[in-house]
Amino acid sequence: MSAPLALAARVEQGHWPLDCPLWLLHRPGAPILSAKLWMRGGSGSDAPGERGAAQLLAGVLSRGCGPYSADALADLVEGCGAGLRCEAAEDATLISLKCASDDAATLLPLLLQMVRSPWLVEDQIALERQLNLQTLQRQREDPFQVAHDALREQLYGSGPYGHDPLGVESELRQLGRDALQRQVEQLGAQGAVLVLAGAIPDGVEQRLLAGLEGTTWAPRPPERRAGPPGLKAGGLATSPDETEQLVLMLGTTTTPLGAEQALALRLLHCHLGIGMSSRLFVALREEHGLAYDVGVHHPARLGDAPFVMHLSSSAERAVEATRELLNEWQRLLEQPISPEELELARAKFRGQEALGRQTSSQLADRQALVLGHGLPMAFADRSLEAAAQLTPEDLHRAARTLLTQPCLSLCGPATALRAAETQWQRHPLSASAA
Amino acid sequence: MPPLPAAAVPALPEPQHEQLSNGASVVHIDLPQAPVVCLDFWCRAGSARETAAESGIAHFLEHMVFKGSERLAAGEFDYRVEALGGNSNAATGFDDVHYHVLMPPEASNDALELLLDLVLQPRLDAEDFDLERQVVLEELAQSEDQPEEVAFQELLRQACGSHAYGQPILGQRSALEAHRPEAMAQFHRRHYRPERCCLAIAGPTAALGGDLRQRLEHSRLGQLSPGAEAEPPPPPLALRPGEARLELPRLEAARLLMAWQLPGAADQRSVLGGDLLTTLLAEGRRSRLVERLRENLRLVESIDLDLNVLESGCLVLLEAVCETEQLPAVQREVRRVLLELQEQPPAEAELERARRLVGNGYRFSLEVAGSVAAMVGNSALWQRRHNLQAPLDWLQQWDGAALQRELVPLLAPERAFCLQAVPA
Repeated sequence: MSAPLALAARVEQGHWPLDCPLWLLHRPGAPILSAKLWMRGGSGSDAPGERGAAQLLAGVLSRGCGPYSADALADLVEGCGAGLRCEAAEDATLISLKCASDDAATLLPLLLQMVRSPWLVEDQIALERQLNLQTLQRQREDPFQVAHDALREQLYGSGPYGHDPLGVESELRQLGRDALQRQVEQLGAQGAVLVLAGAIPDGVEQRLLAGLEGTTWAPRPPERRAGPPGLKAGGLATSPDETEQLVLMLGTTTTPLGAEQALALRLLHCHLGIGMSSRLFVALREEHGLAYDVGVHHPARLGDAPFVMHLSSSAERAVEATRELLNEWQRLLEQPISPEELELARAKFRGQEALGRQTSSQLADRQALVLGHGLPMAFADRSLEAAAQLTPEDLHRAARTLLTQPCLSLCGPATALRAAETQWQRHPLSASAA
Repeated sequence: MPPLPAAAVPALPEPQHEQLSNGASVVHIDLPQAPVVCLDFWCRAGSARETAAESGIAHFLEHMVFKGSERLAAGEFDYRVEALGGNSNAATGFDDVHYHVLMPPEASNDALELLLDLVLQPRLDAEDFDLERQVVLEELAQSEDQPEEVAFQELLRQACGSHAYGQPILGQRSALEAHRPEAMAQFHRRHYRPERCCLAIAGPTAALGGDLRQRLEHSRLGQLSPGAEAEPPPPPLALRPGEARLELPRLEAARLLMAWQLPGAADQRSVLGGDLLTTLLAEGRRSRLVERLRENLRLVESIDLDLNVLESGCLVLLEAVCETEQLPAVQREVRRVLLELQEQPPAEAELERARRLVGNGYRFSLEVAGSVAAMVGNSALWQRRHNLQAPLDWLQQWDGAALQRELVPLLAPERAFCLQAVPA
């Protein structure tokens, strides 16, 4: 089970004079190139009063840079049938390019042009800001989003992970060119890595560097450094909404990617939430018919990552849904999973890893994330090996250490909220929060 | 700027078509570099095959299939597939349904037997049926809580009328509550017939061994008896132009939704033309609608135009997200952009931009075994036997004059059904 999965036909480090590691993952076959420039400092680095700045900047970077106006840049990229995106997540700002390998020479300089010489035109900032504000408003249509927003506040308060990467409306409204200019100076200073995957032509280093055009860039290589912390407050949040269903999210803050018990927790994630044979799917959907969508949300993070179980169930089944969900969490704290369940979780962990390497983009994305966390290239393969050594007791220990004091966030009609609240108050999980 | 030296572009792999003695289609395509094999079973048993009383049964059956077969207990399939490092899923459309499994190559043979058994011999246990009905009703409730989905459903209902494309694939709640296992078994017997089925396999197919054909002849698929009754052709669609307004609770931003009809999927050249036209109009900042409505006039948060490839007639669906008070302006500008295209054919540079976006999107999708299997499987299911290169060739054949002559008139504003959805 622990034979390494193929990563790429050839992996090499590119040679260039910047303190930003450059990795080339050569894959034969389709003449496609994917590039991911991962720069530490996403929405988690938004300054107080400027929440939404990282995402706003990300959107504006592709609205004019180097010699190209917004229109000229769109003409160039779309004219090659390529995709060029920049987005801020909690931990990083990520520039992604996907194109035909033949267009690499033309498009690769854009990466550093975006980083070093963005235009930051007032008019384009205003447009991007307006679009982000509208998206924030429209997201409230989705009861999952509403429940998730409330949970995020419970888990992280006003800390770095406490807001949607799109920002906070009142603060986003105030953001202008000055705030973005300050952010541009910081791009890469907290750590950056560039990964290219696919059919990579020779001489890409020179094409990338052509984007500097006489400017300099002084990024730092990514280091292992602690990310933002979470709260361990416990508690209940309710968001009334006139929906058919009650959305339930039960979660807590845990541990960073690569930390001591992170792998054990990842296997618990596989056990609970991956595939139709997963514990939550079988217990809540197959045995009780409580929900269509059930699952676990546990993204990789530099800081204390959230670990969330979620489902949505008809309002009239609020009592049963709440009880069953809470019991599933409690069960993790009370008893270890069986050796057979652990074996299945391992198979899923490995399967996920293989499936996540199908395209050049997926490969570049995963490796940029791992390297950006200051972890080695072989991290995924080492994790597969290490997973083979873990026991049910190891997973149980991780659950009891990390999955304490969960918060429950609910969104739905008032009657369902009341019914669910009663269940919550009776349950040992809420008592432990007191 | 000189291009960097690049490797010669390898030819696209060729799909291999076979037909079993009972009429079932099989198509396989070798992708030696892919890390997984995708097995994709297709059947022409989408919601368009339902009678009124059967509303939602095609999709409900897709759920019940995973509840086990005569040989496989409920959940056993999922367990065995996932224990081998694979995963599976299924999707029901208007025209067809498919069940797919992604497996590590060395385990793909096991999965093949399991998949055919599961899909062709569903157990439809009465107790499981009642429980799964709850799950389907939850799926329906979940979609009803998304006001955008409610708006799209209403658009299709008004635009397509009594045609299956106007009815929800998930079904009407009252019909779902009345369904019985016997009726579902009958639906299965009627439609899951060899001549209406296709098995597609994409990935490193060497792992399946050389006697695939022989084994399939002896499999559940090869042993399936042909149907007694002839299959009716897809019912013709006649989209009804018109206008309506809908107030929706929980909607935060207004929507302008529009629907047009283009020729059906059998006309693949038109499908590619439709791709080209929708891309030219609404893909990327320099596309006409995005540039005009979002970038310049700033009337919308987003504007999208999607081509839905369907047998009875493709549907082009437009969605613009905006403030309620901007709706009239948005509608006016969409109309203006479409009329401009009628008056003057697109410039070559604009067309070339769209060709490259569509062509690259297509090439990028060929990186994934699952999407290759879905493409060749769906094509073979509907007796279209073009190879993977053909769409790229069709793309090159379209020019501005042909687009303007053949397809642009079909997207005329007066041919659309137009729904304004506003917050209640």
